[in-house]
Order: sequence, then C-alpha cells, then structure tokens
Amino acid sequence: MKIKVWGARGSVPAPGPEMNRFGGNTSCVQVTFRDESQLILDAGTGIRTLGLDLADTSQVGIILTHLHLDHIQGLMFFPPCFRSDAEITIWGPSSPETSLENRIARYISAPLSPVEVRELPCSVAFREAPAAEWRIGDIEIRSEAVTHRGPTLGYRITDGETTLCYIPDHEPALGAPLGSLGDEWISGYDLAKDADLLIHDCQYTDDEYPAHVGWGHSGMEDTLTFAHRVNAKRVLLFHHDPLHTDVMLERMESQAGKRWVELGHERKSIELAREGTEIEFEGTGPLVQAAEEPPSTAGTSAAAELSTRG
Amino acid sequence: MPPSQKPLELILARNLLTSISTPSFLVDGVGTMIFYNEAAAALLGRSFEEAGQMSAEEWLATFGPFSREGEPVDLDEISLTQAIQDGQPAHGSFCIRTARGEEETVEAAAFPLVASANGTSGAMIMFWPRGVSE
Repeated sequence: MKIKVWGARGSVPAPGPEMNRFGGNTSCVQVTFRDESQLILDAGTGIRTLGLDLADTSQVGIILTHLHLDHIQGLMFFPPCFRSDAEITIWGPSSPETSLENRIARYISAPLSPVEVRELPCSVAFREAPAAEWRIGDIEIRSEAVTHRGPTLGYRITDGETTLCYIPDHEPALGAPLGSLGDEWISGYDLAKDADLLIHDCQYTDDEYPAHVGWGHSGMEDTLTFAHRVNAKRVLLFHHDPLHTDVMLERMESQAGKRWVELGHERKSIELAREGTEIEFEGTGPLVQAAEEPPSTAGTSAAAELSTRG
Repeated sequence: MPPSQKPLELILARNLLTSISTPSFLVDGVGTMIFYNEAAAALLGRSFEEAGQMSAEEWLATFGPFSREGEPVDLDEISLTQAIQDGQPAHGSFCIRTARGEEETVEAAAFPLVASANGTSGAMIMFWPRGVSE
C-alpha cells in the first residue's frame, strides 16, 4: 500500500511562505493499493492538485470522514468533476437529518457555489458509508463513528495483510484521560489497533490543548498515547493547526519523536505529514519512504491509472 | 479475547457521567451495568473499579430495587427497563440497598441512547437520593 499526502492542514487553508515546507492545503490523502486501484481520503483543498494528476483517470473513489469544510472544500475545484468521462463515487457519514448528497449540495450550490451538483459534467454517486465492514473491490473498509463534532467517521482500510487507519479529526481523550480508560472505552481503538500506518489528528501542542477541549481535536500527548495504546507500527501526525508555521511544526515533530522513543518506539516510525509525503508500507512494516517533495502547485506527473471499483 | 470497543455514544456517555456529580449509571443494550460514576459509588458504598460490570440479574440481587418485603423486583416490572427494551425514557421511585446494608429511596430517570446506525445501544440512568427508607 502507498499513500501520498496532498493536504495535511486542519480547519482552514493556510498558505504563505512560512508554511511552505508542510504546506497549506487541507486534508487529502491518496491511497494506492497492490492492484494499482486508488482511493482518495477526504476532499480538502489538497484534492485540487491531486485532481490535476488524474487527467487519464475516469473512475474516482472518494471517502469522506465528515463534512466540515476543510474536508470537502476542494470538491468544487476537483478537475475530474468537470469532465464528462469521469465517474466519481463519494462515500461519507450518514445523518438522521438528510442524505449525504443533500448535505454536500449545501456547499455545492448557490450562494456558495456558481454550480449545482446536478450541473457537474461528471457522473457522481453518493453513498453513505455503512457502519460496518464493507468492500470496494478487494479492499476491506471498516468505518466507525469517532469523537469529533458532528457525524464523523474514522476508517480502517485493509489490502491483504496491510492496514491503514485514517482518523484525521479525533479527540479520544475528551472527558477522560486516555490513561484512565480501558481499551474498549477509547474512541477509534478498534479501527486503529495494530495498524501498519496510523494517520491521526495532532492539531495542538499540549500547551494549546486545554484552551481547545471539546473542539474535536487532539493535543500531542493524547495523540501519542492513543497511537501507543493501539500499537500503531507507524504514525503520521496530521491536521496541522493553521497557525502553526514550519518552524513550529518542526519543533512539534522533534518533541513528538522524543516522546515516541520514550514510549518504546523507534524514532523513524513517527513524523508529521507534509504535502508531498509518500509512504509505501506493507503488513510486516514500512518498506520505503520516498523523499519529501515540496508542495506542488500544479499536477505535472503522469498519473497511474485510477481504477477504484465499487 | 479482549472486550470489543463500545459504541461511540456509550463512550461519550461514560465521559459525561465521569464529569458530573449526579449519581449515574450506564447500561448497555442488554441491560448490563457497564459503568457508574463516583457519585453513584458514594451512594452505593462501593466503587465501580471494585464492583466491575454486572449483569442485570447481579445488579438486582446486589443493589435492588427491592420490594417492600425486601425481595428483588422482577426486571420486567421496573419501568427503567423500558429505556432499553423500548427505547423510551422512563422515571421511577425505588428502594435500593447500599453496600453498607442501608436502604435508600431514590428517584431515577433513564435516558435511552439511540444512535442512528445502531438502534438503542444502552441507557444513562441518573439517581436522586430521597433519604434512608423507614
């Protein structure tokens, strides 16, 4: 399995020269499986540049954790949406209020948008993610509600023996310290247990978190405790606060690395997500980490065939 | 085999109950008492860590509620059972017995926890002591 980060920022895009090394686009991760099929996790602004890379791809699968703007804002600027040959399937959380399509249409409609969903040239289908295990082709996907504001899912994605867990917005320590809870009382525990790669919320420093309790995101110590409790083999810290510059994030990465080692893990098994980060890994542990790329401003490389089946 | 993870609504309910000073209990969808808070521990005279999870039958035999004759009330006769069985809120007044052997009259209200995908996954039950029974 291989992932590529196209956006790792949380809450709102944060462009600027002081953000270049980690990037300013919001949540979007591209996953490529053994059979070269792909899935896109979340549609933050990072999906725009990813879409430029998909010029030769007609079938696109997007899985949304929730519908906060930093996870869907890129949809309206996703190039395949404006191609008549593109078939896009979007999975996301259900709500007792109304359908997934209607909720997304609140964004892709006037006055927020110049186009309506029905006007998109592509073929688009909306599917509410089952609260159980399901499959897309050969890929097993498990979705569960996790602690965040509003209906929010985390995902456990398994291809053969390799498992990725993606919980970009998560506050598992809300109301009770993680150290005081049994495993079965920790939000997201089963999703993340023994994952080969865990991509997890780490929006705040431990000094910042007390002022943001209940906002749906984690401080660093809680993130590392969660990752340690679930025995994640590799951790990618995600959903960076828009106020955090490259210098601050590098400092956080250093602190996280030291703490991760104190918890008994290898330093190299944890890092902060950067736009362009690519990680290839398999069930026995990570294999190769590609060199970091600077945030791209336009998709230029040839895309692998995108053949999500569903 | 480790216990499976609780549904999110039960996790959040437990976190809420941990934070309040009203004696409160959390039961799962089959009536097993899966948590009670420190205020309830003070009422019962036994901490949750000491007592652990209890089936509905164990709970009834230990703490009640009891009839005027001191016999445990049948589970189906307890109005709070409706919160789990029917997904309906319920209120009642009961006599319970603490770990200290004292009988307490309590008012209790049960709130079913219903998640859209899972149906009724349990209930929060809050108790208000009315004093030692005569």
